[in-house]
Amino acid sequence: MVETLLLVGIVASIFVGFNIGGSSTGITWGPAVGAEIVTKTTAAAVMTGFVFLGGMTVGRNVMDTLSGEIITTELTLSAGVAVLFFIGLGILVANVFGVPVPTSMTTVGAIAGLGLATDSLNYETIAWIVSWWVVTPIIGFWIGGVIGRYLYPEINRRVRIEKSEGPLLALDRRGAVPRPELGPNTTRAELATTAVVLVIGCYMAFSAGASNVPNAAAPLVGEAGLEVTTAVVIATLAIGLGGFTIARRTMESVGGELSDIPLLAALFVMVTASTITTALSAIGIPISLVMATVMTIVGIGWGRATRPVTVREAVTRNAGDHEIVPGAITAAETADEPAAPIGEEEPAEVLRAGDLFNPRAVMKYVSMWVIGPSMSTLLAYGFFVAFPGVA
Amino acid sequence: MLSRILVPMDNSDPAGRALAYALDNHPDAEVTVLHVVGVPSMMMGEAVGLTLEDDLDAAAAERAAPVFERAREVADEQGREIETVVGIGHPARNVIDRADEYDAVVIGAHGADRERVTHRFLVGNVAETVSKRAPVPVTIVR
Repeated sequence: MVETLLLVGIVASIFVGFNIGGSSTGITWGPAVGAEIVTKTTAAAVMTGFVFLGGMTVGRNVMDTLSGEIITTELTLSAGVAVLFFIGLGILVANVFGVPVPTSMTTVGAIAGLGLATDSLNYETIAWIVSWWVVTPIIGFWIGGVIGRYLYPEINRRVRIEKSEGPLLALDRRGAVPRPELGPNTTRAELATTAVVLVIGCYMAFSAGASNVPNAAAPLVGEAGLEVTTAVVIATLAIGLGGFTIARRTMESVGGELSDIPLLAALFVMVTASTITTALSAIGIPISLVMATVMTIVGIGWGRATRPVTVREAVTRNAGDHEIVPGAITAAETADEPAAPIGEEEPAEVLRAGDLFNPRAVMKYVSMWVIGPSMSTLLAYGFFVAFPGVA
Repeated sequence: MLSRILVPMDNSDPAGRALAYALDNHPDAEVTVLHVVGVPSMMMGEAVGLTLEDDLDAAAAERAAPVFERAREVADEQGREIETVVGIGHPARNVIDRADEYDAVVIGAHGADRERVTHRFLVGNVAETVSKRAPVPVTIVR
């Protein structure tokens, strides 16, 4: 009986991992694949390796939070399997309707629902997690904003990402031992940028592992029956499977949207989102990689779109009328860099670019992230109240 | 007598039918096709891509080109000329803001992305919003 249940749990874990693999491989490698720097197969293979690394190292902290700190008792096998089903349900909803349901948040919601039903919820931990969920999008947005406003235009002027015809590297077979050398059309700069793109992709894959492996693995760890290593290996294999199969499609949809922005900007987004995700995972906060990514993208666009007006005007959305807003950033005063006469150029164009990022649209994103975890908490609560034996 | 008609279009069949309908029923009117780029999407890819371009207008025109090409094909079949305008950002708001320069709006019942829940959530049904809020008569073409 117990073994059958564990088997069901493993299948559910594989389903969760498989879908996570599809979506996270999509955002991690979409830009590099779109720019034809790596193939989809290479992307999936590298992804699998770094997801495992992330899951085994930083991911353990998140796993500890999920399986032992949100609720005061240990997850039993039946409860773990039920939680996995709720995570899977969230993913199913996401797939059927094309709504990005953040898996990490669904997981926390489902476990919190269990905690509420069995009166074992650790409110302190939940408050700690939720407050990070509130702060993280704001951090991502502001880092993105600073990049878009101050850094990106400067760096974009100096760096050109190029891709030449022919293979990147060739083998020099003239000597006794073949030596790698640059391909027929490869420049040193191209080799360097390709290396940078790969390294950043690996970094993001690592952070995806740290934040996402625990969703598939944690419910089965501990009292539920699996060793941490076994659970991580299963989750990694499932994520890898998703990376090799359905990610081919998500690299074109989710990753394709990332390819709409220049590769250089995408790299900034990836570094920022991965750093946020890895840092929070390191302190045991389950966080959605997609959420950090989207907020950084929106931040970069907003920063760039509002570049020709001062920050104060952009924040008050009232160009020309210099009313003082408490808390508005004082960067308006320090913005007079020689290369960027902020506040002085083409206000007409800015107003148009500003149309792309109205606050109401951003609020809609935020509401999506509130609905997901709330629903999973409610559903899980209802389930565990109705079937107290499962917990 | 309607002399100026606005036809908002995207790359969908109803949009094409809306243009054909407008040209058919108003043989003497001046027809302007509006296409909005940088529409909100899940990851805001297109919108951010646009803002990062050096020349926003040129980039917007480039992204709108395929839709206008299609519109011209429809117009050519009837031997008509059309004007084109590119809008940026939210489709419904673009149409509503421009509508008072025209006598009427003719719009397709739904756009290309209606199947996607995220799109419906972030953008909404453009035809419905326009018909409710536009200052001029709106014809919805199925």
